[in-house]
Amino acid sequence: MKIKFFANWAAHTIIGAAILSMPAFAQQSPQLSDAEIASVAVTANQIDINNANIAKQKTRNEEVLKFAQTMATDHKAVIDQAVALVTKLGVTPKDNAISKKLLADAAQTEKALHSKNGDAFNKAYIDNEVTYHQAVINVVENVLIPQAQNKQLKELLQSVAPVLHSHLEHAQMIQKQIVK
Amino acid sequence: MKSRWHQYRNSIGWLYILLLLNIITSCTQKKTPKMYIVEIKQMQFQPADLTVQDGDTVAWINHDMVPHDITEEKSKSWTSGPLLPNKSWSMPVTKSADYYCSIHVVMKGRITVQ
Ligand SMILES: [Cu+2]
Repeated sequence: MKIKFFANWAAHTIIGAAILSMPAFAQQSPQLSDAEIASVAVTANQIDINNANIAKQKTRNEEVLKFAQTMATDHKAVIDQAVALVTKLGVTPKDNAISKKLLADAAQTEKALHSKNGDAFNKAYIDNEVTYHQAVINVVENVLIPQAQNKQLKELLQSVAPVLHSHLEHAQMIQKQIVK
Repeated sequence: MKSRWHQYRNSIGWLYILLLLNIITSCTQKKTPKMYIVEIKQMQFQPADLTVQDGDTVAWINHDMVPHDITEEKSKSWTSGPLLPNKSWSMPVTKSADYYCSIHVVMKGRITVQ
């Protein structure tokens, strides 16, 4: 039991560290095309919807549930806007190193979330939401926005940033409440 | 001579009418409730702090891509319900209130009734 807990904790810490180091990783990577940027945007939003769906099933905490519902609604809205734009522009999202890394990390996180229940689940979910939004904000602001070529794609990403910041603040607020 | 007198009298008459109109409109302006607009953009109420007179109407317009709501914060005594993108909602205001978005709880605003 203790070993399993430690393994989970270690996995979590490593995942967190890996995601947080993404901007550095991404800065070294070659310039992303708009098709690749679109793929990163859609993937990043879909991952948070998937995590929200796990939370909606598992949590009994009202604040956590409402937060998860907001995540599902907002990230769906962002995906809808992104899909509408790439459809209009005739761009097909193309997977790449960043979107693949996001998906690999997300699979680990999902596993960790499924293994927890009750308060431990709430804490794991919210802690991950804080870390994940920080990581995605980094990628959006330091990689996707500066590298986007199409003006409308750049503007869409710029309007997504405040949404992510409000989610981060919201998650941090719940994080403080849970610790109490 | 006569026409010049006429011109003079006419212009005085017009001035008088203009003055009267001015008084009337300024009086009615004070009595007619005003409409204020709070724009919701970039996950903020703008302006976040608004001062109105009793009976004025405040309209909120959602310019973001996500739904918001406008909910009285302390006792949840009123709420807009979900306000979809590009939709607006308005309410006559009679009482000062702190409000927030119950979907994004970090979004806050205030109306002060003078
Ligand atoms: Cu909101």
